[in-house]
Parts: sequence; C-alpha cells; structure tokens
Amino acid sequence: MATVAVKATAYCLAFTPEIGLRYGTTPCQEHLAHPDSPFLKDLARSAQPYDVASRYAPNLTYIGAMTTDQLAAHAQPCFAHLEDKPQRFGRYGEIMPEDEFIGLLDICDVFDLVWLERDFAASIKRKLTAHPLMTDAQLKHLEEGRDAAELAAEVAKNQALPLYQEGKMVGCCRRGHKTDENLSAHVLLENLASKAGAVLSLLHLIRNAGMRPADIDFVVDCSEEAAGDINQRGGGNMAKAIAESADCVNASGFDVRAFCAAPVASIITSASMVVAGARKNVAVVSGGSIPKLYMNAREHVKKNVPPMENSMGCFAVLLTPDDGQNPVIRLDALGKHTVGAGASPQAVTAALIWEPLLAAGLTFTDVDKYAPELHDPEVTVPAGAGNVPEANYKMVAALAVMKGQCEKAGIQDFVKRHGLPGFAPTQGHIPSGVPFLGHAADAIREGHMKRAMIIGKGSLFLGRLTNLADGASFMVEAPREAGGSQVAVSKDDVEAVILDVLGDLAKKLKE
Amino acid sequence: MGKLTGKKLILMGERDGIPSPAMESVFAGSGAEVAYAATECFV
Repeated sequence: MATVAVKATAYCLAFTPEIGLRYGTTPCQEHLAHPDSPFLKDLARSAQPYDVASRYAPNLTYIGAMTTDQLAAHAQPCFAHLEDKPQRFGRYGEIMPEDEFIGLLDICDVFDLVWLERDFAASIKRKLTAHPLMTDAQLKHLEEGRDAAELAAEVAKNQALPLYQEGKMVGCCRRGHKTDENLSAHVLLENLASKAGAVLSLLHLIRNAGMRPADIDFVVDCSEEAAGDINQRGGGNMAKAIAESADCVNASGFDVRAFCAAPVASIITSASMVVAGARKNVAVVSGGSIPKLYMNAREHVKKNVPPMENSMGCFAVLLTPDDGQNPVIRLDALGKHTVGAGASPQAVTAALIWEPLLAAGLTFTDVDKYAPELHDPEVTVPAGAGNVPEANYKMVAALAVMKGQCEKAGIQDFVKRHGLPGFAPTQGHIPSGVPFLGHAADAIREGHMKRAMIIGKGSLFLGRLTNLADGASFMVEAPREAGGSQVAVSKDDVEAVILDVLGDLAKKLKE
Repeated sequence: MGKLTGKKLILMGERDGIPSPAMESVFAGSGAEVAYAATECFV
C-alpha cells in the first residue's frame, strides 16, 4: 500500500474587512451599480472588528486554538457567544490583523505594485518586526513609504486601488500595465493577497514541522486565482513565487487548479510525487480569496446577522515519506468523480466515498470522521445556502443505508458520530475538506482517531467550459506500526518471489 | 401522454444539492421541453 506522511499542517486567517468592503465581489459590484446603496452603508456599519473575529469559535477552530469537539459543544450561535479573550495564535497558525497583512502584501510584492503611506509603513515595520516568523530577509522588502499625496495621485490618475485602515487611505495597489486587464490593479491585488496568505501559512508550516525554509523541496499552490498577462492569462506558478517570498531557496513548484476540489487534487498529486521519490517533500499551499469576502453579506445585513465573511482563509500541508510515526495518506483508495459518473448526489457520493471504501475493504463506519465542505453554517444558513456539512453528512448516511451498513433510523446518529461542525470561512476552495486535516492528524497522533476521509468538490461549470462538477477524496489514517511502507507489493511481485523460491527448491532437488 | 407533455421547464440546480444535469435526466422522457437549465454554486 502506497502511503505518505502528513508531517505538519498550518492554517491562518487574514482578517481583511476593509479590503472586503471595497473589493469583495458583492460590495464591489454594488459600489459600481449603486454607489450610494443603503446596503453598503449598513454593511460598513455592521462590520465586525478584530476583537470579535479573534473570539469567534469557528475562527479559533480553524487556526487550531479550539478542537472540533469543543466547537461542537459550543453555545450557538457562536457570534452571540464569543470567547472571553481574543486569541491571535493557535496550534496551527494565526489570525493576522489587516494592517499587518497589508504590510505582508508589500513584503510579497517584487514589482513595486504596493505603495504604503509613510507613517503607516513605519508602524507596520514595528509590528512585523515583532512577528515571531518574519525574518530580516522578509522585512527588508517592506518599503519606507511615501507621502499621502503621492498615493492619492496614483489612485486618481493611474487607476491604483486605495487600501484603507479605519477609513483612512494607508496604501494602494497599482496596475501592472496600462491596457492589459489581466494586470489591472484589481487582478493584481487579488493575486498578491492570495500569494501573501500562502506565504504566511508556509512560514507557519515550516515552523510547525521544525524545519528550515531551505529544507522545502517543492511547493504546490492550489488557490483559485490566475496569474498571467494578456497572452497567457492563468500562466501560473504562483507556487514558486510563494516559495521565493518564504525564502525556500531549494524549492521549485507548480500550481494545480480544480476550483474547490483543488486542495484535495493537489494533495493527491503531491503525495504521488513523494511516494514516487520524485520530490523529497512537498508543501501544498493556498492563500485566500478577496472576491469571496462578504459574498453573502447582503442577506446577513438584511437579517441583522453579523457579517462574518471578513477573513481570507489560507493553509499549508507538508507531505513527506512515510516514517511510521506520522499519520499517513493512503493512495490505494482514492475517490474520483469521473466524467461518466453522473451528477446526482447519489452518484457523486458513491464515487467519492463508497468506491474508495470498497477499494480499501472498509465500511462506512470504519471512517471515524468525514470532512466534506466544512463551511461555517452561521454564515451559510442566513444566506439561504443551508448547513452545507450537515447536508453532505445526510447524503453519506443515506448511502450507508442503501448499502445496508446503517439502519434508516440511525441516520441522525451516523451524522452525529461521523460528522463535524462547519468552521471554515466561505472561501471556495478553503472549506473543501482540508481544514480538518490538521485536526485529524493530531487526533490520530494522540490515538483518539483511526481514520478520516477528506472530500473536495468543485463547481467546474462556473468556468463555462463544461456542465460537470468535479470531486476527489482521500483517507488519512494511523501509520502502520512497522512504518516506512511507501510502495505497494503487487501480485506480480509475489509471483516473482514464489518463482524464485520454487527455482531454488528445484535446484536443490537436482543437487 | 404524461402530465408534463408540451410543458416548458426551467431547471435551477445547485452543486451540493441537485445539479441541473441530474434534473434534465429525470425529465428526459417526460415529454416536456427544458427551456432553461443551470447549476449554481452558492458556497
């Protein structure tokens, strides 16, 4: 059985409400259509501060400051039952405040696209110098800043996008070309934000793994952004740009794109490279998505629910050869939603869950926890999209009933036992199963869990090239005691050994 | 002749619920015409 170790994970949130208020798709479209819209005023008025985001239980679960069991037992709704104290750092990462993240945008900018106001740049330099993971190599990229008038002129004359803190312009993101829309300030801000979030997660990952940046061999980015110019929109390799900013001098990289299924697809791709020996280790990384900030805020404002889509989700996972110590991803039982599988929920669930279970000789109840779309229901339910993880669990349970592995009356119990509360920000690819990988790996290490299944699904039809959706899944489980098993023993291998033995025996009989 | 013969259908699907291709399959033999079918992703 081919297996790969999950050596470390990192999960971070970039708290960016003011970027969201202006450049999230929903508010941005409203700005263009109705600049004086009451919705925009109400949204700005009801935006939550960092103090709330860093006491909100789903956010704390995401960064590993709270377990999924603690979240499940938490008073609901979590936005009305905030933790007593704000918590910036968790076991896996942090919730970075917006001013520091704007500074990180500048650190990750190598084309002088981001300009900072002088006083703001000085204050951010002080803050980021105190950050536990920022090195001199990163801090030297932070600019000294410019006069506010210079920034205002760049916005007024050259279509730069202003960046605000507490309503005051503290910086701007400039365009990369006068006429190429692929290098507009808006596209570049989205790409830079995704890059910066991935860099932050990669730095946490390296620290969590007890390694040095130079130890990283390869980086795979699985975000939803497209980097390129007019002649190759989506040309890509954000991964290598991320590796450069994280000082991973011995790494190269590439990108994998599959909408929200990309994280799972990337982990399978990366695990395969590690098993094959093509790469010593692979860091799968992703930054977050500016467009999805305040995506559902129209309904939140209408229903007087705090608009909590104010943070970009980012993550990183380090895959290394199976050492017999760390939890492993097994590559002999992967879920794949084929072109011909069909689009019905039953067909999708069978392809992603039932078929890998069959391949591994397991039953539905052999998997302790299933991690499908882990969207925070306090965001999706008021928006009319329902409790996404719960709907997925009911579908898994229903299939278990159809396969005779669960009583119909036991569906609710199955959902409770094998399900998870949603805790991930509604950032498209981010909630797609992977936020549980860190929690699962820890629970397996601590002996509380044997196995979890991570499931990703992607809406390919949004790209208007196919009506199909996609999906992929893998299982993570405890390592075998002997460990070190990376390559499966095939039937041919066994036959060869038997033939050798019989050959030796025949030789001895002749003698 | 089914109940839907000659009718026109608008099918609105959802990625994590019932996508429109699945609904189109269901109505394929109903005698109705699918005037519009789309799948959206609300998450």
